[in-house]
Amino acid sequence: MISQIGFISLFLGLSFSLLIFLFSLLDVNNNLVRIDKKILKLIFFQFCSVIFAFSFLIFAFLVSDFSNETVYNNSHSTKPLFYKITGVWGNHEGSLLLWLLVLTSFVLFFAIKSKNEPKNFRLHTILFHQIITIGFFIFVLKTSSPFNLIFPVPSEGLGLNPILQDPALGIHPPILYVGYVGTSIVFASALSAMINGYVNNEWAKNLKFWTFLSWIFLTGGILLGSIWAYYELGWGGFWFWDPVENISLMPWLSLTALLHCVVTLEKRNILKNWTIILSLITFMLSITGTFLVRSGILNSVHTFANDPTRGIYILIFLFVLIFISFIIFFLFENKNPEIKKEIFLLSKETSVLINNWFIIYFLTVILVGTIYPIFLDVISSEKISVGPPFYNKLILPFLLPFFLFMSIGPSMQWIKTNFKFKIKYIVYLFLTLAASLITVIFLNEKNILLYILFLALFYLAFKSLENFVIKKSNLAQSFSHLGFAMLMISILVNSFSSTEVIKNLNVGESFNLNNEKIFFKNVTTVKKNNYDSIQGLFEITNNKNETIKLKPEIRIYNQPVIATSEAAIKTTFLKDRFITINLIKDENIFNVRYQNKPFMIWIWISTLIIIFGGVFAIFDKTKKNYI
Amino acid sequence: MKLIQLSKNKILYLLIILVIILIPQNNFSDDSLNVNNISKNLRCLICQGQSVYDSNSDFALSMKIFIQEKIEAGLTENEIYDLLIKKYGQWISYDPGYSKTTFLLWFIPLLFFLFGGAIIYFKIYNSKKNFKK
Repeated sequence: MISQIGFISLFLGLSFSLLIFLFSLLDVNNNLVRIDKKILKLIFFQFCSVIFAFSFLIFAFLVSDFSNETVYNNSHSTKPLFYKITGVWGNHEGSLLLWLLVLTSFVLFFAIKSKNEPKNFRLHTILFHQIITIGFFIFVLKTSSPFNLIFPVPSEGLGLNPILQDPALGIHPPILYVGYVGTSIVFASALSAMINGYVNNEWAKNLKFWTFLSWIFLTGGILLGSIWAYYELGWGGFWFWDPVENISLMPWLSLTALLHCVVTLEKRNILKNWTIILSLITFMLSITGTFLVRSGILNSVHTFANDPTRGIYILIFLFVLIFISFIIFFLFENKNPEIKKEIFLLSKETSVLINNWFIIYFLTVILVGTIYPIFLDVISSEKISVGPPFYNKLILPFLLPFFLFMSIGPSMQWIKTNFKFKIKYIVYLFLTLAASLITVIFLNEKNILLYILFLALFYLAFKSLENFVIKKSNLAQSFSHLGFAMLMISILVNSFSSTEVIKNLNVGESFNLNNEKIFFKNVTTVKKNNYDSIQGLFEITNNKNETIKLKPEIRIYNQPVIATSEAAIKTTFLKDRFITINLIKDENIFNVRYQNKPFMIWIWISTLIIIFGGVFAIFDKTKKNYI
Repeated sequence: MKLIQLSKNKILYLLIILVIILIPQNNFSDDSLNVNNISKNLRCLICQGQSVYDSNSDFALSMKIFIQEKIEAGLTENEIYDLLIKKYGQWISYDPGYSKTTFLLWFIPLLFFLFGGAIIYFKIYNSKKNFKK
């Protein structure tokens, strides 16, 4: 019963979409100043119908209605309440419904927020956005309906993959999706602005909001995913160059390039075509990501659906969108002529161009690295793996010039920079030199390239710090850049000075690492509702005789029967102590992995600082421009 | 003004000398050959997107033992990779290697980089020329 209502509700949503499309088309050509009220109402109804469908699915999960196929495949009556809810989007069908929900709420949000924008710009944006929405409605209804029925009704569900039963992963998909789907507004708005000859600094103000909004959520989503991978996947890393991680990084990179461009467009009214291209590319990358993940082509830890028809549908959809974009771009390009302005070498404009140059390069590396193996497999059925060695070789050498440019870029002024020599620069240089030297000595990696990397990063950090502590100017930029410099420093320190021991250990045995003694005290077993837990107790004693207790766990879930290992982590500001245990087959000893990970928490903190910078940008109301 | 100019240059020279003196000259500390570093670059063939290093599957465990044996037998890192690639195919190595089928993989991104640099160069160069006229 619930399922039928859900399905009908979705179907209504699709009908509303078609109506909105039709009415918008009719409304464009009349001479009224305001948008037809009908359209706004329909957008609201459309949103309601998806919310209804979504609530029905949540309800089906809550009451464990196993007549619903999605519930049957992904839930279990003994699962805790929280994971019954997050299980709604922990699967293909539900996650697409969530995608649809975010899509429709974004267009509603846009309709409300854009009241002061030109009427036709609003209408066209809604129109293009509805094309995407219709595409997704059909996709959900045709290939991935979350409301399929099973008969006879099974008495128990198959359960949710235990590694997905985690609070961080519960909120990771919704946050990430807001980021992904937010780019659909950027896309629709770019096409609409092209048609209306509205690609200018006024439009940039509007676009900036959506760009930053998507960027904030995408950054947050990636952060949550990394934190989850760090403590749940059990080997203490946070980034693996896994294809699905790459896929979230690609729109992030192009959004980052875009937001620098949007600001340039807003302040200087240049880079029009490039801003449009980036806006279009960003959404394409989001869709490509969905295609690659949902088709199951990728060999990845995220792959939980494998259905070629779905992949083909998204592929066709992607090509339709690319086709529309190309047509509109070439038909309306001359409606938005680029204003000829001199670009000085020492200017913020040049810095933005260089920033985009490097970001697009990194993006290409990741894009090619992710899809090249797929093409090669199709063409020559030769299977290759593209992993960390590839990315390290192509990205690391470019980080050095990138960071150098990035350290001086933000100090440039719009139009033209006049450098005036000030004593404080010497202070900065000394601070930077000292900080870099100390870091390099601390890491015991006395390498000149690493040293210069740190020079650039510390300079950027100090400069950004000055900007918001002393000058209190441009909070968004200085915050994000400070965060970025801190992030890179933390990652470098972390990757160069992490230490680990992997050992097979019996209860009562111990080992040493960095002047600390790790003692395996005992093992206890605990029975929980949906899993059995084997808990080890480890005591870590340093040379001052202070003891820390760590309790790593092995959980054996009942539905489905999967063993996961839960890391025990002791976080301090200087380092994380990270321990996991695993059972060794047929033997009565444990495989223990103990790691010292310096500056781990700073990786998360600095990413949060980056996000805060984005939040400041949204609320930044400075009107000053340099046109 | 002249005085300031002079002292500015002096300070600059001083800084450059300082940087050169302070530049640490060692190379990266040579990572001794160990199972962890090698197994990080190998795919666990029976897992979903995990490296041998990350995985605790039987395959990964026996692979780690295999690598340890080869290290003890005196093989270099590259020899071990070659051996495994010969046995399991290129799929096992996270480094796609340089070959006829992979040169585009390496080349396309670098081409983009050169292309992008050229665009920026001409954009700035042309805008200068336009305004000189």
